Amino acid sequence: MSTRVNPDLRNELLKFGIGDWNACYHCGNCTAICPLSETGFLFPRKKIRLMQMGLEDKLASSVEPWLCYYCGDCSETCPREANPGELMMSLRRYLTSVYDWTGLSKKFYTSEVWELSFILAMAAMVVVFFLKFLPAMGYTFTRELTTEGGVKINSFAPPDIMEMLDWIMAVIVAGLLISNILRMYYKIVWKYTNTKVSLWVHIREFWRLIFNFAVQPKFSKCGSRQYWLSHWLLMSGYTIMFILIVVYLPWFQTEKVLPWWHPQRSLGYYATFGLLFGLIFVLVGRLRRKSVKFRFSHMSDWLFIVMLTLTVSSGILVHLFRVNGMAMATYVSYIFHIAILVPMILIEVPFSKWSHLAYRPFAVYFQQLQKYAVPRKGSKTTPLWKRSG
Amino acid sequence: MEEIRIGVYICWCGTNISKMVDVEAAAAEIGRLPDVVLAKTYKYMCSDPGQDLIIKDIHSHHLNRVVVAACSPRIHEMTFRKAVEKAGINPYLFEMANIREQDSWVHTDRSEATSKAIGLIAAAVSRVHYHSPLEKRSVPVNPATLILGGGIAGMTAALEIADAGKQVYLVERTNRLGGLVSKFDLTYPDLSSARQLIRPIIQKTMNHPLIRVFYRTEVEEVKGYIGNFTTILQIPEEGETELSFGNIIVAVGLRPFDPSVIPEYGYGRFPDVVTSLQFEEMIGTGRLLTKRGQEPRNIAIIHCVGSRNRKYHEYCSRTCCMVALKFTNQIRSALPDANIFEIYADMRAIGKRAEEFYARTTHQQIIFLMFDQQDSLPVIKEASKNDNCNLIITMNELLSGENIEVPVDMVILMVNMEAHENVKKVVHAVGVSLCGNQFMIEKHPKLDPVATTTGGVYIVGTCQGPKDIPDTVTQARAAAARVLGTIATGTVPVEVTTAFINDKLCCGCQTCILVCPYSAISFNQEKKVSEVNEALCKGCGTCGATCPAGAITSRNFTDEQILSQVEGILAMSFKDQSV
Repeated sequence: MSTRVNPDLRNELLKFGIGDWNACYHCGNCTAICPLSETGFLFPRKKIRLMQMGLEDKLASSVEPWLCYYCGDCSETCPREANPGELMMSLRRYLTSVYDWTGLSKKFYTSEVWELSFILAMAAMVVVFFLKFLPAMGYTFTRELTTEGGVKINSFAPPDIMEMLDWIMAVIVAGLLISNILRMYYKIVWKYTNTKVSLWVHIREFWRLIFNFAVQPKFSKCGSRQYWLSHWLLMSGYTIMFILIVVYLPWFQTEKVLPWWHPQRSLGYYATFGLLFGLIFVLVGRLRRKSVKFRFSHMSDWLFIVMLTLTVSSGILVHLFRVNGMAMATYVSYIFHIAILVPMILIEVPFSKWSHLAYRPFAVYFQQLQKYAVPRKGSKTTPLWKRSG
Repeated sequence: MEEIRIGVYICWCGTNISKMVDVEAAAAEIGRLPDVVLAKTYKYMCSDPGQDLIIKDIHSHHLNRVVVAACSPRIHEMTFRKAVEKAGINPYLFEMANIREQDSWVHTDRSEATSKAIGLIAAAVSRVHYHSPLEKRSVPVNPATLILGGGIAGMTAALEIADAGKQVYLVERTNRLGGLVSKFDLTYPDLSSARQLIRPIIQKTMNHPLIRVFYRTEVEEVKGYIGNFTTILQIPEEGETELSFGNIIVAVGLRPFDPSVIPEYGYGRFPDVVTSLQFEEMIGTGRLLTKRGQEPRNIAIIHCVGSRNRKYHEYCSRTCCMVALKFTNQIRSALPDANIFEIYADMRAIGKRAEEFYARTTHQQIIFLMFDQQDSLPVIKEASKNDNCNLIITMNELLSGENIEVPVDMVILMVNMEAHENVKKVVHAVGVSLCGNQFMIEKHPKLDPVATTTGGVYIVGTCQGPKDIPDTVTQARAAAARVLGTIATGTVPVEVTTAFINDKLCCGCQTCILVCPYSAISFNQEKKVSEVNEALCKGCGTCGATCPAGAITSRNFTDEQILSQVEGILAMSFKDQSV
């Protein structure tokens, strides 16, 4: 069975940040030095080859790009300066757009105009919501809120309405992401193998998904531990904050200022610390460009960092203004905070860089499924777990 | 018969010999042999004092044979022959024993090396006993030169010789000069025009008063030997012309491999599968279109067509990889959006600035696909109507291990350089040998790559092996320099140690004629015996060893000389055993 070459794929991939895709001459140093490449799942060289040849289907069914955590050893060893690490990064961007059935992911990755227009439109919707819809529903954004009795945050932004909107957004985002994960499953496990995976293996290996999401053990094996740690702080801070806002908003957003050790505040402080630490680490790294990992920044990388920084810093401002009783400043920063947060979540989680929070642990899970796949009738494939060396 | 008086000189070669061979013990042992008047050692026999020692001894001890035991005769045989000649002895009354390369350098046991040295020297001593004086001979050189082939090699050599004021006869098989280079559009690695390169050379050759070009002419037979060749040319519309010349330069070039014998590529069946030369023409005329008249969107270039494959030719054609990259550059500038596939086996960037050219070209957005040119060639088939391309190439891509299909509109086959179809006729006429790949064999692959084993016949350009334009021109000028050297000297020395046939013993079986690699033996129909042309004979000894009647003797390698040499070495080894 031969696979058709798509010679135009390279032009498409250029927009995903692939760089000089032709520099690689396949010495294989990158695969040899990679701490994560293993039998049956060899990368980066093999993936670079598929990309050079334009074997779309083979690429779409590759789990390997998600198994790479970009330590940069390959790029530093490459005698051709082909930047295999960045090529793998570009493949992750490309694969995100391949899994996405709406086509929006590709638009956001390859067109600044699309991405910025979407952000501005969403931000405008948020502003209009606060200035027009909420007052229309009887929640007046008037002088009263600012003059008497401190910050009336719950009168300005009623938690029940906000929580409802949170849930609507969460359902949309999760629906998109889950449908894309199903497509990923179809391409990687279902469609392109001569093998099948039993339901029992699906159940037995499921713990890996949870474990890899929470601990990211593969990342810790990749290069210096400081990357893993800062990423883990960022990830845990983000997850905690996400749960607090979406699930526990009425508990989290109170007008009464609780003591600092109260879980409502201390959890928020931890999440903020984690986010800030991770963000500063990445920002400094990408600006200094000293580590290979941070040397190349695609438009989508910067956009994500900038939006997250703005979200976190406006969130901190909301908190500071509220604790200090500065009502008007609190409301303005609140609107700003939401106007950044909404487009960020809508773009990043299902369509762009942040979708890796799902694709990476799922990839480890799918890799495991591939290992325990058994040949279908008539196929002579040896199962991966039976292969030696 | 005069008394034989042999002088033996054993060289220390600094410590090269003396470290492993006890030279004094060897001299003492050799000094006891019959007819040996003296046996001496010296630190460097090849130095002036060393040579003077021999000359002085010849005079004072009335020596009439000399043996020097030192390094390889390849290095200093001529030195010592000259020295003994200076002292008034015929240089062929000298023999050399190699106790360095054949002894001290290759052994680790001093006593064994010493006995081996004694054996080798004793062999030379018993051999030199039977040496007889030989006369050095030389023949005059005709200053005209015959050049076969009017391509860039032949014309360059012709101009070099004619510019030095000597007559050149240039024989061209076709009706125009220029050869293969005139069919190219651009050349690598600088992408300069081939036409601008070759046109002035053609003009100059045609107008040179000392170059006479014979078009549509081929040489059937050349007679004579170095310095004195003759041939009769059949010139169309003019008739017969007899030419005399002293040297021959063969520059008959090559022909492109015919890919229709490779079934996988479908050349001849698919009009959009073209050879590299056809593509040169397409790009030269600016019509880079498929047979349907459309601009090709995807173009594949298949390397090693007929090269490096056991079924066709095993050798590498050397230039095609770079020509393929040249095509890539040309396609890229003619069709900026076309997809170019280089389907290659190994990328070979030979020559100055070739690697840089390759590195530069890889940035031209080419898709390199590697195939196994030994066991699985790509297969070209016609595309179906839904495919949106003319042809589909299916292949196993080595770097990925994937079986792939490549959609293309045009395929360029980088055909191998193969020997010309009439090369056998040419080598038969001029007396040159062919290797297994039908390329002409040079005298020495490294040290004498333009001369042949036939004196006065030189080979240049691609008839000697696949090569690029710079190497071809270099060879042409080198051969011209060699020819001009013999013309300037006026005479050329011919081999002294030739074979001669005792016509009383010769039975006329002509076996010697069959085995002679230099076509130096002919059959005398009147006397019914074979005769050696001593100007052509190189003294290789093949005929002497073959002759069933024992009628052929090789000078300086007579049966007596060789047998006594064997006796000498055996006598010493048996003596060792008895001790």
